[in-house]
Amino acid sequence: MKLLQKTSRIYLLASLVIYFVVGIAFYRIIRTMIYEEVESRLKVEKRDFETYISIHNTWESNSYFVENKIDVIPAKEHFTRKAVFTDTLIHNRYEESLDPFRQLTFYTVINGKPYRVAIRKSMIQSYKLIEAVSAAIIIFLGLLMIGMFLFHRSLSGKLWQPFYDSLARIKDFDWTKDEKLKLADSNITEFNELGDVMEKMASKMQHDYKSLREFTENASHEIQTPLALINARVEQFIQSGDLGKDHTYWIEEIYHASRRMSRLNQGLLLLAKIENQQFTELEEIDFSEFVKNKLVDFEDILSHKQINVQIQSSDSFYKMMSPALADIMVANLLNNAIKHNHVNGLLQIETGHGFLQISNSGNVLKTDPERLFERFKKESSGAESLGLGLAIVKQICDNYGLQICYENIDSMHIIRVRAQSGTVK
Amino acid sequence: MFPVSGFNFGRYLQKSCMKILVVEDEKGLAESIVDFLSREGFVCEVANTFWQADEKISLYQYDCTIVDLTLPDGDGFSIIETLKRIAATTGIIIISARNTLEDKIKGLEIGSDDYMTKPFHLSELNARVKSLIRRRHFGGSNDMIWREIRVQLKARKVFVSEKETLLSRKEYDLLLYFLSNIDVALTKESIAEHLWGDHMDSSDSLDMVYSHIKNLRRKILEKDGKDYIQSIYGIGYKFTAS
Repeated sequence: MKLLQKTSRIYLLASLVIYFVVGIAFYRIIRTMIYEEVESRLKVEKRDFETYISIHNTWESNSYFVENKIDVIPAKEHFTRKAVFTDTLIHNRYEESLDPFRQLTFYTVINGKPYRVAIRKSMIQSYKLIEAVSAAIIIFLGLLMIGMFLFHRSLSGKLWQPFYDSLARIKDFDWTKDEKLKLADSNITEFNELGDVMEKMASKMQHDYKSLREFTENASHEIQTPLALINARVEQFIQSGDLGKDHTYWIEEIYHASRRMSRLNQGLLLLAKIENQQFTELEEIDFSEFVKNKLVDFEDILSHKQINVQIQSSDSFYKMMSPALADIMVANLLNNAIKHNHVNGLLQIETGHGFLQISNSGNVLKTDPERLFERFKKESSGAESLGLGLAIVKQICDNYGLQICYENIDSMHIIRVRAQSGTVK
Repeated sequence: MFPVSGFNFGRYLQKSCMKILVVEDEKGLAESIVDFLSREGFVCEVANTFWQADEKISLYQYDCTIVDLTLPDGDGFSIIETLKRIAATTGIIIISARNTLEDKIKGLEIGSDDYMTKPFHLSELNARVKSLIRRRHFGGSNDMIWREIRVQLKARKVFVSEKETLLSRKEYDLLLYFLSNIDVALTKESIAEHLWGDHMDSSDSLDMVYSHIKNLRRKILEKDGKDYIQSIYGIGYKFTAS
């Protein structure tokens, strides 16, 4: 729920409750005042009546009171001194309707006999007054509420505008680029403070990202240079010719170890770079074409190992990603499928709507296939394999929201890269 | 003057010694490169710092410059830019520990001819320097002749004892790599990397090297050539007349 929506809703709810309470209170007050007025008049009339009785000691329905205004009936029930006010409805003589009356009932003694006396006053006018006042209150409160609501909405819209501007800029902010985050100035202190904090955080992020990036690059440089030196020296040593059998063996070992270390270093750096999202350029990759083109690079080794390649493409698999990473991913998958294949083996490549599947024949796995995506996890302990290839593929997939799974059914190894449902174009 | 192998490459090397400048701050590595290339008949000079390099390129003319991108007191790219301004014919090979696409693209954009990532094989560097000089000086139209083997570079044709020998693409590349590294012990790994790049690191690629070498040897022998490919136990191969 948006902020404005939320405040509007709370505002509306609160004002409804308040206006409701205010309305009821208002109605109550008016009603009480009117009742008090009517009752005081009834009390005066009661005194008139009592004065009349005490002078005449008799009662006749004389002209003093109009019809319905007074009832004097002999009291059968018990006699109380109390005078009681009640609301009552009396049938209208002229119109077919029941009219509301306020009635004062009391008991009195006329000529030694107890009587129950009820004096009444019509409430029609008073009720009409209450209705009119209530309607006016409801209309005015309603208009006030709508007015306040609209005013509040446009006001908060204006007040929060700088916030939304800043939010949009923060959303667009890319810390991998050099561009600084610049937020709009506002005349609201809190927003300015927020802006300052965000700008500081953003530049810190950019700075950290940059230094991390520089660190990985420098680390690469610092490690690769001595390795280059070792390699060069070993190569020179090999040239000297008069090597004994032991020397050859040792030098070969040094050579292999340094090459391995260099490849490890490169692999780990690549992983770090992918993790840091340093591959930012995007291009639409059609994997079915991409794999076919990449396969050309492996022609030699495929024919050397006499691997039977089967390509099936039911549909195209498009994905926006860095072409460099797509290349690394596909190359690693193919390399993996060829390296762990038999001579005369099988390599099946299948692409379809939202997936790429590369399967190869090979030895049955002894470990859990999913674990082979972990770094330095490898099935064979052969020195040739670094155990980083699939970890790199997994990292690339994670970066682009692709799902990858590894299945081993008998002698077939199936790696499937799938776009998450909903993201398929 | 230089122990140029019997290879005909020296035909123009000897006429005017090819001069190479090595700009590399790691002294040991620079020494190795110079040592290796000198054995191949090149005259090499070293610059260990940016300012040395800057001075040398403004004073002398080089046929090829090997530039490390990260120098303690400056950026290798600006050396390349200066070189391109004052001596456009100089071939430039970048050697860098930075293995990023951006650097490679930038290097090619400002006029370098090649980009090698550290660590590299000296034999590979040697082959690339020679190929670069061939392209620079002869537009790649000259023939490479060594004993009874002649390679028409433009047509990619190989003649052994003046008989055309049909080689596959990789066998041709392999022969060229050997001819650029006469009398040099080449490791199996460097040959594999030369033929397939570094993306194919497996024992399979070493098997493939073996089978390609077997085929190349057979094809040369079939055309009455001699067997120049000598295997060095545990290490690799050497193309040599001795």
